[in-house]
This record gives sequence, C-alpha cells and structure tokens, in this order.
Amino acid sequence: MDSTRHILTSFEAALDNLRKDVLMMSSLTTRSLENSRKGLFERDEDFCNSVIADDEEIDILEIQVDNEGIEFMMRFHPFASDLRNVIAAMKTSVNLERAADQCVGIARRVKKLLLHEQIAQTLRIEPIFQMSASLLHDSIKAYANNDIELARTIKNRDKQLDTLNREFADTLTDLMPENAGHIRAFIELIFIARCLERIGDQAKNIAEDTIFAVTVKDVRHTLKS
Amino acid sequence: MPAVLSEPVRSHFPTTVNTSTAGRPDFISIQNFSFFYGAKQALFDISLDIPERQVTAFIGPSGCGKSTLLRNLNRMNELIDGISHSGDIIIHDHSIYDPLIEVISLRKRVGMVFQKSNPFPKSIYENVVYPLRVAGQNAKNVLDETVERSLKGAALWDEAKDRLHESALSLSGGQMQRLCIARAIANRPEILLMDEPCSALDPIATVKVEELIQELKSEFTIVIVTHNMQQATRCSDKTAFFYLGKLIEFDVTSKIFSNPAQKQTEDYITGRFG
Repeated sequence: MDSTRHILTSFEAALDNLRKDVLMMSSLTTRSLENSRKGLFERDEDFCNSVIADDEEIDILEIQVDNEGIEFMMRFHPFASDLRNVIAAMKTSVNLERAADQCVGIARRVKKLLLHEQIAQTLRIEPIFQMSASLLHDSIKAYANNDIELARTIKNRDKQLDTLNREFADTLTDLMPENAGHIRAFIELIFIARCLERIGDQAKNIAEDTIFAVTVKDVRHTLKS
Repeated sequence: MPAVLSEPVRSHFPTTVNTSTAGRPDFISIQNFSFFYGAKQALFDISLDIPERQVTAFIGPSGCGKSTLLRNLNRMNELIDGISHSGDIIIHDHSIYDPLIEVISLRKRVGMVFQKSNPFPKSIYENVVYPLRVAGQNAKNVLDETVERSLKGAALWDEAKDRLHESALSLSGGQMQRLCIARAIANRPEILLMDEPCSALDPIATVKVEELIQELKSEFTIVIVTHNMQQATRCSDKTAFFYLGKLIEFDVTSKIFSNPAQKQTEDYITGRFG
C-alpha cells in the first residue's frame, strides 16, 4: 500500500490549504511581535500602528481556518492522524490569534510609553522579548515540521520565560520608590513583559498540540521535560 | 426439515439469554482459522476473540474476507460447494464444527441479518413467527408474545402493531430491515450477525437501525460487517480490520480510528489505500 497520498486529491488539497492558512497566521503573528519590539526599541509609533492594523487580518484568518476545518470534517470525516492534524491546525490558529492579541496589547502599551521620555529600564525587557520570540518561532517550526524533539523543549523554556518575567516585575517594583516619576512607565513595561510571558504560554500550547497530533500523547499538564 | 429443527441433535448454547452485565471477552473465539473456496484461500490464520454482548465491527476493502469470516460464524458458507477450512471457531466454549452439532441448531443461536432486507411475502406477523412455526410452535399466546417482544426489540412495534396482518412488503425499506432483525431475534439467538445491514437504507432508516444495534447489544453479541467507517465508529465497541484475507489489527474501536497500531490500518481508515 502506498501511503503517501490520499486517494482523493481534493482531500490533500483541503488539508494543505488548512495548513498553509495556519502558517500564514504564524508569519503574521511573528511579524506583529517583531513590529511591537521595533516600536518599543526604535520608539516608532508606526510599527505599533501596523501591529494593531494587522490584527484584523489574523482574526479573519482564524475564522477562515475554523471554517475550513469544519468543512474538512464535514466533507471528509477524517480519522486518526488526519483528524488530529485538523484539530491541531484549528487549535494552533486559536493560539496564534491569542498571541497576536498579546502583540496588540504590547503595541498599545508601547504607544503609551512613547508619550514619555525613554527610560533606561526599557532595555531590561529585551531578553524577555527575545525568549518570547524564540518560543513562538520554535513552536511554529515544530508544528510545521512535525518536529517532536523541538516541541518537547518548549515547556521548560516557557518556565524560564516565566522566571524572567517574574524577576523583571520584581526588579521594576523594587525600583519604583526611588523612581516615582517613572512609575507609570514601569507599570507599562511590567504589563508588556506579562504579554510576552503569555505569548510563551501560547507557544507551549502549540507545542503540546503538535506533540498530540504526531504522537497521540496528550502532554498537557504532564510534560516534565 | 422441521423435525430436525424442532429437535436439534445437540445444542451447546444456553436456552435462555444471559442478561448479567459481565460479558465474556472470548464469547466467540476464532482460532487459527483459514478458509478456502476450492483452491483459493480466502482467510489466512485468523485468530481473534469476540466479546459477549458487545458490538464488533469487521472492516476492510472489498474482497478482504470480512463477510466470509462472518458467514463462517454460523457455517453459512457451507451452502457453497468446494469450501474447506482449518482452525476452529469456538462459541461459548464449544466448537461450531463439533461433528455432533446440528448446523440448524447453531443457526438458531446465531441469527443473521443480510445487506438487503428479505422479508417473506407474508404478513408482518407471519414473518416474525416464521422461525417458531418452522420449529413446530403454533401456540397463539406464544406467537403473540414473540411478535410483540421481537417487534419491540427491533423498534418496530409502534409502527407495526396496528397492521400486523398486512403484507410485510408494504413496509418501507428501513422498516423491512428492522422486520428482518425482529425475525432474526424471534428465536432468542445469542449472537446476531449483520452483513452490511444499512447499506441499502436511507440515512434516517440507517440511524434507526444503528440505534437499534445499540439497544440490542444489551442482550445479544453482535458482529457487523460494514464498509461505512463512520458507522463502525458509531456502533461498535471493537473493530477488526482485514486486508487480503488477513486480520491486520483488532482493538477497541476508538483506538482503531484514532491511533491504529498498524500502518495498513491507518492507511485504510484515512483513505490512503492502493
């Protein structure tokens, strides 16, 4: 038996389209995260406005992926790996849309920050940006390539991101008493770090759904390494 | 031959249906079973245990041997010339090939429903009681009780109770198939074999038969051959996948359709076959 292609060519085309739309969402979400970072560090509001504007396209794609997934199930009644792939695509699109919403949240707070003079503590958030972007990138790569080994690394790295976020918030909180004039900016930065931490959570969800799609193991709430 | 039917040479099966909740996992035990149509081997060394009072589905492409195996469970294949077999099929601890067993008595215990409904050109009532009359039972109270019980069991009583003496051929396709199920259970068999029972039915009639299968499994061990994989997922507790006369995989249905162990099974159920 040749297992490479489905006997229905329309089946393969529909599954490919679904996957392509998810990957398109992932590209847009990655770009939004990068634009929000540029908005903050290059102090350029245009990047923030792009993030906010691009969110609509991501929302539309999320609905499109949902509709395609539902139609796929209705038309083809997929089983086994096909069913898991469709479910993973639909769940990944939800996580990407939520990650994109976090990018919008970052962009809005950056716009508020840009109303004030730049503070030195802004640079402290750069490692959190990097780790969040790395997690999002690798979770998408794991999804696209069915790379279970890469997917398995995400949870621990997400914990490291959580730690970074906590340390960042603690540091800024400690600095508040002696920087009373910057408290509003500190709070915005703390919220931005929290958004980045949540993007890490979405990346972890994508990795877990990828592991399920490939191995049928539900590792949510259980993955140790 | 009514005389033989009324007095089976030997019945290895209990005369009343066991209604306890715990079913035997090996109620039907197929052991190293091979089957030949003349020189052509149709089944190769099949071994599997079919659990009591559960629904077991046989799936696979045309010609894979699933119907052949089903028809061996009540020795229906013996109506064909030139067949032979090796291995054994054990039902309730007794070989169905025991030379002392009367094949008709076996078939009374192992009822069968076919792909196309085949009511006799008689009334609804007479269709249901036909197996009893053949066995020499003509007591009206027994026949009446059987008709009501069987039609209720086949979810046809409400639709047919006021027209019991009308021709069975006046029923719809779905009703005819349920009538055939009523006829098959009139003798209180322990096992019901169903060979694509819904393939000639419309979706509504199919749903009714599928619901009926779920109800019947509390009393009967059901083995169903189906080409409809959605039907297998909806109806069955365990599923066996056959290919080219071999049993490729046998497991609980949810496992077969979500995470089959064998690549051939996955290829078949996901449509990547051939």
